[in-house]
Amino acid sequence: MTCLSGVRVLDLSRVFSGPWASQMLADFGADVIKVERPGRGDDVRQQGLRVKDADGRETRETSSYLAMNRGKRSITVDLSQPDGQQLIRDLARQSDILIENFKAGDLARHGLDYASLSAVNPRLVYCSISGFGQTGPYRHLPGYDPLFQSMSGLMSITGHADGEPGGGPLRVGYSVGDITAGFYAVCAVLAALRQRDMVSGQGQHIDLALLDAQVAAVSHVAMMYLVSGEQPPRLGNASPITCPWQSFDCADGQIVVAVGNDTQFSAFCRVLGMPELATDERFSTNRMRARNRLELVPVLADALARRPVAQWQAEFQDAGVPSGPINGFAEVFADPQIVHRQMLMHLPHDEIGRVPQVANPVRFSANPIEYDRPPPLLGQHTEEVLAELLGLDAESLDRLRRNRVI
Amino acid sequence: MPAPLSRIRVLDLSRVFAGPFAGQMLADFGADVIKVERPRTGDETRHHGQRIRDSRGNETDGTAAFLSMNRGKRSVTVDIAKPEGQDIVRALAAQSDVLIENFKAGELGRYRLDYASLHALNPRLVYCSITGFGQTGPRSREPGYDLAFQAMSGIMSITGHPDGAPGEGPQRVGYSVSDITASYHAVIAILGALYARETGACAGQHIDVALLDSQIAAASHVAMQYLLSGVQPARVGSGSHFMAPYQVFHCSDHPLVILCGNDAQFRSLAAALGRADLAQDPRCATNPERLRHRQWLAAEIQAVVGTRSRSAWVVAFQEAGVPCAPIYEFAQTFDDPQVRHRNLVMSMPFAATGTLPMIANPLRFSETSVVYERPPPGLGEHTDEVCTGLLGMSPEQLAALRRDGVL
Repeated sequence: MTCLSGVRVLDLSRVFSGPWASQMLADFGADVIKVERPGRGDDVRQQGLRVKDADGRETRETSSYLAMNRGKRSITVDLSQPDGQQLIRDLARQSDILIENFKAGDLARHGLDYASLSAVNPRLVYCSISGFGQTGPYRHLPGYDPLFQSMSGLMSITGHADGEPGGGPLRVGYSVGDITAGFYAVCAVLAALRQRDMVSGQGQHIDLALLDAQVAAVSHVAMMYLVSGEQPPRLGNASPITCPWQSFDCADGQIVVAVGNDTQFSAFCRVLGMPELATDERFSTNRMRARNRLELVPVLADALARRPVAQWQAEFQDAGVPSGPINGFAEVFADPQIVHRQMLMHLPHDEIGRVPQVANPVRFSANPIEYDRPPPLLGQHTEEVLAELLGLDAESLDRLRRNRVI
Repeated sequence: MPAPLSRIRVLDLSRVFAGPFAGQMLADFGADVIKVERPRTGDETRHHGQRIRDSRGNETDGTAAFLSMNRGKRSVTVDIAKPEGQDIVRALAAQSDVLIENFKAGELGRYRLDYASLHALNPRLVYCSITGFGQTGPRSREPGYDLAFQAMSGIMSITGHPDGAPGEGPQRVGYSVSDITASYHAVIAILGALYARETGACAGQHIDVALLDSQIAAASHVAMQYLLSGVQPARVGSGSHFMAPYQVFHCSDHPLVILCGNDAQFRSLAAALGRADLAQDPRCATNPERLRHRQWLAAEIQAVVGTRSRSAWVVAFQEAGVPCAPIYEFAQTFDDPQVRHRNLVMSMPFAATGTLPMIANPLRFSETSVVYERPPPGLGEHTDEVCTGLLGMSPEQLAALRRDGVL
């Protein structure tokens, strides 16, 4: 039994935040129909690394596509043709949720905007994801993750302090803006679904912008600016409000230490063999440590540099001091805790043989996530879906295919 | 129109970050969120970071961290280490739909406030545990904080300057991204579980969200590149593993992010730069070709971009349809015409300072507005209201419990 069994999602979105959101809904048991352009499909099929099959031959599948499309059925439909638009209207009539990320106004030209589809199916929850939103001076501009990393202020607080080597704003190494918007999209459609079923009986339109979402995600740091008028400093790997809370060089590599309270600081000092630091009034509370960071950190750095990462890690773990190695992905997926949590899994795949997947991190006691479909091949389910939901026979399918509608 | 979570009650036992941020989202959706705090000290974030000042410049007891994730809630102080305090939490849980907690795995069992105990009392309760490492596994009983999960999830290994460049090495993301990521998973899981409960798929249930798991999942396509190749993705500073051009360039006065998401945008960029020849160059014909020659290409672009001011380039690129963005500090973020248009900063009445600026929930529903009825509460501001209203306590009982330090 899954959470969203019986819920159907029509997913017109491409590339990232939309597919990320609909993969979550698929993980939760929804029937997700991914609509792709005939021929080329979702642009993300061309992005990332081309995957090899068991015999080392390159397949058509790419790492980025495979990261966000499990659990879906792929159908190809040409939205620019009237017959294609009619197919989408017919599918929308039988769907609970629609997700799209076209530029604001694009789908209205095809009669597939919220107004048109809610007329066909008033219960439809229609989620539009765009870079800047459906309204405002930038609504027509295309948007990509780094723009939102920079415009949200995120880059201004990431990176080394000015004046240090390599100082200056830095981009986060993954598409955090897309992922953030994907999460908000899921929150929004689930809330709207509940609103429909428990309160109003009606669907609605959700207008989600990547820029808005990333501003909301950095809100706790932005709030420092809003209440003080001062830009929070860039501190590299350190925190402005907690100390010690940063990376340190050990004898053979780096470790991060995140001491969240005074008890942990005492334990930390004991492991370092400097228990007197914990009672030194310059360092006895977090507030004092943050204030006297420049005195404290060199003393800690000196001690930590004397032994290797693994040795410190073991002792900190025993003493309850929050710490961790800075993992590359090889270490991530070999870590005993991560192995125990089964964050890496594999699904059978027609072309590749077996495709690795990072598991959904949500663990339900009553609705364990079922992974029954690998990321689909382009148009793999066109005939299945159109026959099952729209009752199209072989002849109609053939005609649509000949006319390049599907 | 009633809000999506009207008539849903959330009992929020969580502290610091991922839990409170999730609780705030549920409050935005209209739930009645009761924040249970330790008497006298309260949530640790009430003491983290600088204290904000009132209009006369005096320090208040609000901190930016606390105020950014606790609107819409009622604060009730209860000492859950005391048996009477546990009874109060149990009585509230019996009347709640959702419970959020972030104690170390196993800790609430000692107080009989774990899932099994509360499920016995209220089988419809959706009980969400948020921890650093999860409820199971060799490290499940350890405390954990954002920085450790940034480090362990691999995201620091892909953030920062490339090896050999000045300031090389892994970098932390400048906000508590793993807390926030876990929050989203918690909200999504809770909404999913409520849906399952209301469609009759099951009663309440236990949700186990870990910061470490959540942040690994969020690294998604970059982690996937590793899984499929066995090769650790290199750190590329502000560049991209997947596209070129896609990085920071330096105009004559300020830096500017410029990128091309497809070949048509690259041709527009070349034209806007007055380098139509680049659009014809086979090294630039497709994204894989540009990625292969990205160092050469970046130098070519930089040479032109460096000759004019940022404001001139922004106008030129916007007209040409080339995605670009200045690197904003927060003052510029909140002054941007689009950000202003979207009303991302709002203000709430707030006792200590008169008004409080807040970042709005980014979700815009056509039929149901987000609910902003309560500013972040003072510690224990609603203890009497909740204990009287929901538990029917008399003033004498309240006074006695307060005397005993339970409330």
